[in-house]
Amino acid sequence: MVIDLKRCVGCNACTVACKSENGTPPDIFFTRVFEQVAGQYPIVKKKYIPVLCNHCLDAPCVRVCPTGATHKREDGIVLVDYNKCIGCKACVVACPYNNRTLMPKGKLKEGHFKGHLTPYEQVKYKGFQEGVVVKCTFCYERVEQGLEPACVNACPAEARVFGDLHDPESKVSRLIRQRGGRQPMSEANTDPSVYYIE
Amino acid sequence: MTFQSMPMVEGNEFVMGFRKQNVWTQWIALAFFFGKIGSGMFILSLFLGTPLIALAGIIIENIGKGGALMIHLGRPERFWRAMTRPSTSWIARTVWAMGIFTVIGIIYLLVPAGSAAWEFFRVLALISAVVVAVTDGFVMNDSPAIPLWNTPMVPFLFLLYSLLGGTSVFFFLAHGGWIGVNSLLNLETLETTLILINLIGVAIYLLSVVNATAAARESLWLLIKGPYAKMFFGFVVVIGFLFTLFLSLFIGASGGTAVVGLITLADLIGHFFIFYLLLQVGVYSPVLGKLTI
Repeated sequence: MVIDLKRCVGCNACTVACKSENGTPPDIFFTRVFEQVAGQYPIVKKKYIPVLCNHCLDAPCVRVCPTGATHKREDGIVLVDYNKCIGCKACVVACPYNNRTLMPKGKLKEGHFKGHLTPYEQVKYKGFQEGVVVKCTFCYERVEQGLEPACVNACPAEARVFGDLHDPESKVSRLIRQRGGRQPMSEANTDPSVYYIE
Repeated sequence: MTFQSMPMVEGNEFVMGFRKQNVWTQWIALAFFFGKIGSGMFILSLFLGTPLIALAGIIIENIGKGGALMIHLGRPERFWRAMTRPSTSWIARTVWAMGIFTVIGIIYLLVPAGSAAWEFFRVLALISAVVVAVTDGFVMNDSPAIPLWNTPMVPFLFLLYSLLGGTSVFFFLAHGGWIGVNSLLNLETLETTLILINLIGVAIYLLSVVNATAAARESLWLLIKGPYAKMFFGFVVVIGFLFTLFLSLFIGASGGTAVVGLITLADLIGHFFIFYLLLQVGVYSPVLGKLTI
């Protein structure tokens, strides 16, 4: 994925689309848009930086997982097998990007309306388990159907571009090449699959 | 915006800045605490010839550390799965190390003392206990995102704390006459020396952080000037080091069992809080790192 920071307007449509697609409980986000205030008065800018799981090629979360619950698919998507996760949180600690969250006990009973689950929540929460770690899945079910991840689909500014990094002619590869795509926290040597351009 | 001026972000605010880890807390600290005490007691017992304490070390390791880890797990009923990936995961290696240590330790206790097999298992037991003492350090060390922990000093500190914890408990039990020690070692001198070595070890560890990354310095700031400073200086430095050092150097065993008990208690308090606080002040580097936007 490539995120064009010049295009991002901080509307959080991606955040909402992600919650809608995945049905995550309150306070659990697979993607967020960080705000950063830069510069000094009177020349101050507010910047918006969307973040999500970077599906790193050398993912520390995969390495530290003692059960193999966190695994990497052949297409590079990093997923968590909820049936194998023991909730040790080693991956949460190891992720340099703070993009993993523990689904706390009781979270799936609480819902957005405190104790009352809407029919939507009842359906969506069936896909989760309590006591395990959850994260962005790059909407792999959508990707398998040839669709884009929900956050990419919802972005009104086309700030997020999804594609195949291995294909040098794909739009993402061209953007990275032409506009100097940079990986977040490259010093962590995790080789993220999400690039930022400006 | 420089990293130094980035805010410390608490909770779910969508703001760039330093973030504290908040998922490894008191139960992991307690697991480390029991893990070090258990392995330390076992290591000392190998040299002091006290099989009962060796057994106590194994029990503390399994029930204390194992129990704390089980409470920490989100899905404890699946704990056995933690053994499935020792090739890459230090947590899996820790679980294996505990299991191997327990088996070897029990065989060592069952084999007739003085036999060739006993000597063989004694060496194996020593190696496995040392491995158990340091592997927790590698679990912390294996977090590239938290620079305070991502240093080779951490496993070394864990070994030092293990030896100190074991010595403190031994010193108390031997002085109280609850165990007979057939040792050439002077436990009182060993205790004082280890307190000094640990103090120097912690000081070197923290000083090494001063010139490290901004996140490590943020951790250090939290520990020595920020909200955890009182706990750090109170429990770790004053009670854990200075008070124990003062009592050991100027009163020591001549003060009676009560004083030795006080030294042990103070040492154990410092022992728990160093682990607890190092976990609490684990700060992630800002999410985008050197990617300045």
